[in-house]
Amino acid sequence: MKLQTKINIRFLAFTFLVFSIAGVLFYFALDKVVNQNIREMLESRKAYIIISLLQNPPTVDTIESTDHSIFIKRINNTLEYKRFSDTLAFDQEEKELIPFRKMTFSVHSGNQHYEVVLLQSLLESEDLQVVIFSFMAALFGIVLLALFFLNRWLSNKAWNPFFKSLSVLSSWKIGEARPVSFDRTGISEFDQLNSTLENMMQKIQADFINLKEFTENASHEIQTPLAIIKSKLEMVLQDKTLNDQQNNRIHAAFESAIRLSKLNEALLLLSKIENRQFVETAEIDICQLIQSRLEYLEELFALKQIGVTVCLEKQVTFKMNSLLADILISNLLSNALRHNIEKGKIVISSENQGITISNTSEQGEMNVSRLFRRFAKQVTSSESNGLGLAIANEICNNYNLQLSYRYSNELHCMTIRQKS
Amino acid sequence: MKILVIEDEQALCETIVSYLEEEGYRCEQAETVKLGTEKVNLYEYDCMLVDIGLSDGSGLSLIKELKKCHPETGIIIISAKNSQDDKISGLDLGADDYLTKPFHLPELNSRIKSLLRRRKFEGKQELVIDKITIHPENRQVLVGSEPLQLTRKEFDLLMFFVSNRGRVLTKESIAEHLWGDFADAADSFDFVYSHIKNLRRKLVEKSGIDYFRNVYGTGYIFQV
Repeated sequence: MKLQTKINIRFLAFTFLVFSIAGVLFYFALDKVVNQNIREMLESRKAYIIISLLQNPPTVDTIESTDHSIFIKRINNTLEYKRFSDTLAFDQEEKELIPFRKMTFSVHSGNQHYEVVLLQSLLESEDLQVVIFSFMAALFGIVLLALFFLNRWLSNKAWNPFFKSLSVLSSWKIGEARPVSFDRTGISEFDQLNSTLENMMQKIQADFINLKEFTENASHEIQTPLAIIKSKLEMVLQDKTLNDQQNNRIHAAFESAIRLSKLNEALLLLSKIENRQFVETAEIDICQLIQSRLEYLEELFALKQIGVTVCLEKQVTFKMNSLLADILISNLLSNALRHNIEKGKIVISSENQGITISNTSEQGEMNVSRLFRRFAKQVTSSESNGLGLAIANEICNNYNLQLSYRYSNELHCMTIRQKS
Repeated sequence: MKILVIEDEQALCETIVSYLEEEGYRCEQAETVKLGTEKVNLYEYDCMLVDIGLSDGSGLSLIKELKKCHPETGIIIISAKNSQDDKISGLDLGADDYLTKPFHLPELNSRIKSLLRRRKFEGKQELVIDKITIHPENRQVLVGSEPLQLTRKEFDLLMFFVSNRGRVLTKESIAEHLWGDFADAADSFDFVYSHIKNLRRKLVEKSGIDYFRNVYGTGYIFQV
């Protein structure tokens, strides 16, 4: 949930609660005032009627006003009383039952006793109450809405620098030469955050570049001494006076030097790919490339008695560097060959903008999470340096291609597809 | 045959030179573009090996220089791996061949031989080794007077051995000669073994002589 939404919801809930309590209180207050008012009106009518009765004692036993709001009756009771009650009565004008407040009291004038009933319509006051209350409710609603929008606008404005910084951060890629810069916001908290981020990113960038340069320089510098070691050993191997054991030992050293130098080459290649030093791109016809590589490998397949099924009906082209395309395909084909079994099979097929190379192997399903990592050898084979798939994956990453692995029907399938 | 080796790594240069001298070439060394330019202008060579990344500049300028004064000299570029640009611009300038470092010395030797053959004899030279006669230009092999049928790889293999007669050829260098980058793609040593077995069998059948000798655990020698 967005912070803003969260704050807004709490704010609105709180305001609503306050308004509800205020509304309830307001209702009771209003009710009390209206009741008071009606009582006062009845009291004033009562005073008037008492005076009238005293001045002009009625000659009949009962008197009723035309609008039925006053009813006077002679009684024999000498008790003093006054009662209030609510009642419903039919109103001629409204043609319906409407609520009335009824006041019943006794009047004593000399030896005459009367009971007076006064009715006061509650309709108007109720109407008034409804009007006032709905007006207040509407006002609350408007205030609530206004507060909601104000709050949203304010927090949008206040959080704007934060979102700007966030977008700068998310578009940042380590190793990219472009320097990071945040706009000044004029808000000290955000400026502080931005400057901290800037320093941190610069430091990370510098460390990263240092480390990368070190790796590159190291591999580069190792190359020459290795070449010397190799050629010197090769010279020693030419010595006919060596016995078998000496020969073997030198050959082992020679072998290791070759492995080391191949490993080093692969590492250099990886860092070159990562540095995007292969700039030139062209539309590469992958099917054609595979065909030409297959011709080259034909014999190696034959020697291992591997059945190769090629189904490249759909044409697949990727926009990439030609050398890297070559390395990518070579690596995948080499893998399919190297990890294959005698009399195994390789299936190469093309589908919509994708190529799949599948092969049999004595190993079961591979661990996908480790597969594309450097030196993540799943078998200890001296001929594999554990970088082939890491290189293939890095090449794919460079050209927005997806290299994925699947294991089905005892086939290890590697698929290259254009990322959508 | 005179060869100029331009390589700024002293030790590597010495090894190359001593290997080539054992093959009977006369070699001269230069470590910088400056020295190389001097030599190229002063003397004539049959072949020049040139490293692209030299301490005082690019070997490509030397190729230009050489093409100006001695266009008939063969040129082989030696350069770091994966620098496709160097390779293309070198070949555009007129270099004949390209080897990536690190390379096997027998490979260099066979490349030089094939280059010189092409340059000097337009490939029409006949190679006669004991009972074997090879016509490199049409990939024909005769044992005595009878033609010997060889597969493409077997022929390449024979040429490689013949070029490096009397040398120990390691399994690694053979595999790389035959399959290049794919050398470590498969159990290529087994394949090297089976190729050599076949070639050996064919040669023995026709000539009755086994020219190959195993060097235990290391590789093979072709000797007469």
